[in-house]
Amino acid sequence: MTSPRTRRRLTRILSMLPWVMANPGASVEEVLERFGYRHRRELVDDLNTVFVCGLPGYGPGDLMEAYVDDDVVVVAMADYFARPLRLTAHEALGLLASGRALLSAGQGSETLARAVEKLEAVLLPDDAEPLAVDLPEPPLVEVFRRAAAEGRVVRIEHVSGATGRLTSRDVEPWSVFSTLGNWYLSAHCRRAGAERVFRIDRIRAAEVLDERFEPPEEPPTPEVRYTPSADDVRATIRLGPEAAWVVDYYPVDVVATEEDGATVIRFSASDPKVAARLLVRLGASATLLDGDEVAAATEELRRAILRRYRTSSEGSSDE
Amino acid sequence: MRNVIERALNLLAFLLTAERPVTAEEIRHTVAGYGQEDDAAFRRMFERDKDLLRGLGVPIEVRPTDAWEVEMGYVVPEEDYALEDPGLTDDERAALALAVQAVRFGGQPAGVDAIFKLGGAAPPGGGEPLTAELGGGSVLGEAYRGVVEHRILRFEYRGRRRRVRPYGIVHRHGHWYVVGAEVGAPEVVKAFRLDRAGGLAAEDEAGAFTVPAGFRAADHVPEVPWQMGEEPTRAKVRFDPEVAWLARRQLGPGARVVEAEDGSIEAEVPVAAEAPFLGWLVGFEDRAEILAPADLRRRFVELVAGPR
Repeated sequence: MTSPRTRRRLTRILSMLPWVMANPGASVEEVLERFGYRHRRELVDDLNTVFVCGLPGYGPGDLMEAYVDDDVVVVAMADYFARPLRLTAHEALGLLASGRALLSAGQGSETLARAVEKLEAVLLPDDAEPLAVDLPEPPLVEVFRRAAAEGRVVRIEHVSGATGRLTSRDVEPWSVFSTLGNWYLSAHCRRAGAERVFRIDRIRAAEVLDERFEPPEEPPTPEVRYTPSADDVRATIRLGPEAAWVVDYYPVDVVATEEDGATVIRFSASDPKVAARLLVRLGASATLLDGDEVAAATEELRRAILRRYRTSSEGSSDE
Repeated sequence: MRNVIERALNLLAFLLTAERPVTAEEIRHTVAGYGQEDDAAFRRMFERDKDLLRGLGVPIEVRPTDAWEVEMGYVVPEEDYALEDPGLTDDERAALALAVQAVRFGGQPAGVDAIFKLGGAAPPGGGEPLTAELGGGSVLGEAYRGVVEHRILRFEYRGRRRRVRPYGIVHRHGHWYVVGAEVGAPEVVKAFRLDRAGGLAAEDEAGAFTVPAGFRAADHVPEVPWQMGEEPTRAKVRFDPEVAWLARRQLGPGARVVEAEDGSIEAEVPVAAEAPFLGWLVGFEDRAEILAPADLRRRFVELVAGPR
């Protein structure tokens, strides 16, 4: 296997050559900046490599010319590399999807929108719209991003995904990011006295305070995945085939896969209600095999919902 | 590394100027860098260099060297080699470079090298870039190739091997979907979640199908899961004041909301797929209630009561 560094370097050479040929008189400075060369030395190395390559015969008339002359980059005798190489499928998708994602989130400029349209015109076939990226940005994202940039403390009302409890807390926002369709705020939570990651669509309100904080030199890489801890409640659940999707959505351990397509999983969560809600919604396609706390929480949830439906007679009279 | 790059540049220069298919043997004796190697070493080196160039996007094709098709050679068709110039300005390139740095696909950005091919861009300055992880990974490129080159995709989905004409590709709710029709049923357009498609690969034949006129991939992946399906019924649900704000954010398009004085809301929601809708409502515990229709309300009560 060829190393990614080699691939990258060759791509850069095959991109830099046509650009220099199309822009005669380009300065070293400009080529360095445009193609992300860190030092003049790096560029000169590439030019020296090109200089000894060319067509069979490999004499003076067959090799390419590539050198720096009076701070100008010169490339000649390299007509066969005059046009940039086409994009790979992965690169094309990456470019278009990245652009579309920012535009969908309301983060893209008009310039980006124009760029994506021009790219789509040459990269995508037909008059159809074969590619779509939907990454809607919930309210407050902009508030947190600005507060993070300015180092301002924010008071948030947040409802926990696990317990459903609404709490108010002061946080020092570090960064805002999106992963797999959800938007998150990574922050130091003063109430917890530790780093916390909040789903932004579960933040009801945010008030930017006057107080400022000193952001850490290097905030930890935010971790979204739930990681089981010793205090967690645990349960063993048997999932019927129609509930197999649960394995993709929750961090579970698969204990066994049975012949009829059923799966036995070990489920752990910081609050038994998480498992209770899951069991209720799955109905007959899931069975709790083991876990007393979860069993109690599930019964309590069933009773609470049914109580509401019993005390109200709406629906039967309506429509 | 320098040797590899020199050899690759020489090989590519030769292929681009040969104007005919050239055999491996001819390459070995003509292109600088291969000469001194024994058979096995040459083969290894040549395979590696071809892979390197193909990985960069160079279309190296294998064609017969003459009409009798006795010998096969390698050729890089000039018209397929080059990138069609999209006519970007420097500002537009810079905006793309910024976008590419902000977005990740399974932990990695995609398209960073593509910015070079488009002519490079000055390093983006200023502002804390947001990051967005779209997931996906390497199988995405293959699916995309199927879409743009009209190649049939093969994959296993829900326990069955399938051949699908990929008309489009959509990212929504944090998942990638291939939208298309199975071979043999071109009228039925479905969305397949990419992370559930096993062993996905594009077939060799390009241009294997045509896309229905005016096709919009986004139309085939609903914005909320309970819109997936035909003929929605309208459900009327009350959400208590303390969860009304949360419900509003998740209702999706087409819902009509009336707010009461106490802050609770009554929402009329188009529901085409009942199970995901009822499952979503369970998340609101006893702070939401289906008001109508009566049979939907009854089925929710049955679901909550649990299996007997």
